[in-house]
Amino acid sequence: MSDKEVDQQLVERVQRGDKHAFDLLVSKYQRKLGRLISRFVKDSAEAEDVTQEAFIKAYRALPGFRGESAFYTWLYRIGINTAKNHLLSTKRRAPTSTQFDAEEAEAFEEAGLLREVSTPENELMSKQVVGVVQASLQQLPEDLRSALTLREIEGLSYEEIASVMNCPVGTVRSRIFRAREAVAENLRPLLETSKGKRW
Amino acid sequence: MKQEISALMDGELFEDEVESLLGRLKRDTSARKNWAAYHLIGDVLRQPEHIHCDLSAKVRARLSEEPTVIAPRWHVAKQRMRAFAMSAAASLAAIGLVVWMSLQIGNEASPQLTFQQNALRPVNMQIQSKSNDYLMAHQEFSPSTDMSGGAYYMRTVSYSESAMQEKNKAGTK
Repeated sequence: MSDKEVDQQLVERVQRGDKHAFDLLVSKYQRKLGRLISRFVKDSAEAEDVTQEAFIKAYRALPGFRGESAFYTWLYRIGINTAKNHLLSTKRRAPTSTQFDAEEAEAFEEAGLLREVSTPENELMSKQVVGVVQASLQQLPEDLRSALTLREIEGLSYEEIASVMNCPVGTVRSRIFRAREAVAENLRPLLETSKGKRW
Repeated sequence: MKQEISALMDGELFEDEVESLLGRLKRDTSARKNWAAYHLIGDVLRQPEHIHCDLSAKVRARLSEEPTVIAPRWHVAKQRMRAFAMSAAASLAAIGLVVWMSLQIGNEASPQLTFQQNALRPVNMQIQSKSNDYLMAHQEFSPSTDMSGGAYYMRTVSYSESAMQEKNKAGTK
């Protein structure tokens, strides 16, 4: 089942009254949506509020979502509209020189334009998380690191990774899981200690 | 289960496995934390410069104040609508057929026509008696008397033993 189909399954669960399924969608898309909204709303605290608001609007609108487009495309449209409405309500002008739609936004990865204005606390926490993930990745055995990198950064499917690494698909699945779990193991203490704060 | 979560987020599980795993994720908080952690790792690896705070707890808190959304499942609703339309069309067709048949039967069995049929009966009898006379007169041409009709084309042959003996005697002489 493809990634989009998994999203559709989660959406259908939310439509049947499962709020936990929406929680999974929030965990999955919050940073992508946050990056998108931070293009419009430069202040990080405001951007955070607008991102939250966009998720709440999406939740309220979900009964009308029929799956005619991908969930993330639909969510990003809501994000853009929420950000623009926020700017209008605060009498600020939405950026018009680089108009884009939701799908373009998904592909838009220019670091300079996606820069956030973070609070010191937020910035520190972000740096710690990034540091732990990168250090953990470096400590991984070569085969696990390669499998995870090919999946997360290059976006290859398990079959493609199996072909590149010359191993069975089952081995790829196992290697990617072991790599994630090893990194997550180092990350958990940080996520737990910051529970109730920013993370 | 963790390995299944890892495969789920990569879109590498079969449909029945997904359904089962999502059911378990609904019940298991620690499983949902693993899902969140694995997604965070992916986002950090892709864009380390754009990691911001976790919003899921705040969104969850706000969702708790929201009424639960319940929507019809569109594909099920579509199927139900199609089934309803088909059954409605079949019912209408059946009703139409029944009405049409009842109208036809009603026309045939109307009292006026029955009366007319009774009134015509003597006439029919007259016709029948006339035709009987006609058939009697031409009985030999009737298919039921084929043998007599075919007699025209036959020769009658008889056999007599005494005549045969005389014939034989004459032959020996």
